[in-house]
Amino acid sequence: MTDEPVPNNPPSTVSVVVVDDHAIFRSGLRSDLDSRIRVVGEAATVEAAVAVVRARRPDVVLLDVHLPGGRGAGGAEVIAGCGDLGGSTRFLALSVSDSAEDVVAVIRAGARGYVTKTISGAGISDAVFRIASGDAVFSPRLAGFVLDAFGTAAVASTGTELDRLSARELEVMRLIARGYSYKEVAKELFISVKTVETHVSAVLRKLQLSSRHELTRWAAERRLL
Amino acid sequence: MKPPLLRSPDGLVAGVCGGLALHLGLRLRVVRVLMVLLALAGGAGVFLYAWLWIFVPMASDRLAAPLRFVPPAPTLKAPPAPALFLPAATAPPSPATPHPPSAPSEPGNAAPPVAGAFLRPGRRTGGRLHPGRKELLLGVALLLLAGVFLAQELGFAVSLRQVLPVAAAGVGAVLAWSQLDDARREGLRNKAGADRAAGLARLLLGLVLVMVGVLVMVSGAISWDLTWATLLATGAVLAGVALVLAPWALRFWKDFEDERAGRVREAARAEIAAHLHDSVLQTLALIQNRAGSEQDVVRLARAQERELRHWLYADPAGHSGNLTERLRALAGEVEDSYGHPVEVVAVGDAPLTAGQEALAQAAREAIINAAKHAGGTVSVYLEAGPSGSEAFIRDRGPGFDPLAVPADRLGIRESITTRMQRHGGAATIRSGPDGTEVHLKMPEQENRSHDG
Repeated sequence: MTDEPVPNNPPSTVSVVVVDDHAIFRSGLRSDLDSRIRVVGEAATVEAAVAVVRARRPDVVLLDVHLPGGRGAGGAEVIAGCGDLGGSTRFLALSVSDSAEDVVAVIRAGARGYVTKTISGAGISDAVFRIASGDAVFSPRLAGFVLDAFGTAAVASTGTELDRLSARELEVMRLIARGYSYKEVAKELFISVKTVETHVSAVLRKLQLSSRHELTRWAAERRLL
Repeated sequence: MKPPLLRSPDGLVAGVCGGLALHLGLRLRVVRVLMVLLALAGGAGVFLYAWLWIFVPMASDRLAAPLRFVPPAPTLKAPPAPALFLPAATAPPSPATPHPPSAPSEPGNAAPPVAGAFLRPGRRTGGRLHPGRKELLLGVALLLLAGVFLAQELGFAVSLRQVLPVAAAGVGAVLAWSQLDDARREGLRNKAGADRAAGLARLLLGLVLVMVGVLVMVSGAISWDLTWATLLATGAVLAGVALVLAPWALRFWKDFEDERAGRVREAARAEIAAHLHDSVLQTLALIQNRAGSEQDVVRLARAQERELRHWLYADPAGHSGNLTERLRALAGEVEDSYGHPVEVVAVGDAPLTAGQEALAQAAREAIINAAKHAGGTVSVYLEAGPSGSEAFIRDRGPGFDPLAVPADRLGIRESITTRMQRHGGAATIRSGPDGTEVHLKMPEQENRSHDG
């Protein structure tokens, strides 16, 4: 079931690069982050972000979805520009945007998670550790988008089918959309937190790789692709 | 201050006299009489009129010009009053011509006049000639005809062979020149395709008429052979000139298109600026005033965020009257009154039948309970589809025992549980130390039952 390497212990310190075009937000985030998270660089544009990430090779990049510069694709373009760094650097998308277009574009570009900017300091620190250890981070809203895109009734016969969610994944997504934390989801479904993380990672992979025509249509309705 | 010299949009011929009268501060009638007297004095008035016609811009052209320099939002409040030609000041207003919109006086009205300047031509395309102009042209034609007859009666040999070519050339010239006038008037507006085709037809017709007229006139004097040779030479020279001027003309056209696109962008920006001014800037000012009260600030910020999100991301197709929209609106109201954020995640949508309305109302009660007793963020998840809808309202308060609620408290029992049951749905409440979750379920089949 676990076909992805998940380190058992989160690293003691995590290096991050903060990419956002608002200096106020960057400094606020810096002071909100846990003491075990080290900010090794900041950037405000697509070009600067790619340069800083390549120079510093951080564990996690906190990436604003909307960025000036580049060809106008914002955060997704930064991820594409750092695509050859391998899996060592992971991206967490931060956004104030509500539009499915923005969120799904950055996830499909390769971000491992998506949280809104109104998240608390503890919440973002938790998300950074989770991303650094290889997990995916889903906010209730992203879970809602996934359910909307894949449908709430489509159930895969096997867990590896890319175009559908399995019954368990559907349950996990529903609970996350209802505002449950991973721990609460695990308790609710009588499974371990590790298993919940596996399910979420599987859903993230499906969201990134699926070529399912409903997803295409759903995205097209929201002016994506 | 002297008003600028602009042609009046509702003049008899081209609005020259009206504009002149306003500019010089004279009566319209006086200017007209002077113009006619000048015209009789060796045709000087005719030349003056034509000269002014060509070089004096229309009032409506000038109206659009200040748009180019519209600054962003804050200054929209009091823009420099554009130099408007106000026909009402002198000439009697014609119902066929809408008046130039007055300068925007309040921020809320900043956008419509801007858009109005662009939309106006649509109303005018119907009647190109002004009411008086057609009769005037007819009158001039009849007067000329009478002059010709009179000349014949007096013994001058005026043959139709001489008059017709001149008349043809004249009509052609008028057509072509009126085209120029219209092109200038509409130059800065969005022309419809049909309009452009009509203009082109008019230009071609004018060209053909002038050419035929000139040819017939010339062919009376010189032989056809010479005429053809001359025509060929002229054609060659014209083609050469066109070849030389083509790049310049193309660049001119490109500049013109760029400018037009810029204007459209500017209009869109002005609309956004007006909206931001009305909403976000006002809220920011309020937040600065209430900086002392954290709750007020959070409430204002959340309300503004919701409004802006709705404006930015709302489906243009419009889902008003659907369950999702309804639940979001109700959640927003609760958020406003209690100051606790309510996060709504909705999947799918359903039409707002009686049963779904009951679900939305029950959800509202549950959200109010959560905001009132638990505080913090309230998570709302709605899943709707053709078979029915489900809503989960979750908070992270200390929790309570649903069975221990006193019997006289109507909140949960009456407005949530009983309401759902009355419409064929169900409500379950789970409460624990981690918070409370209300689960509402409303199937779609039995939704036309009575409402209490």
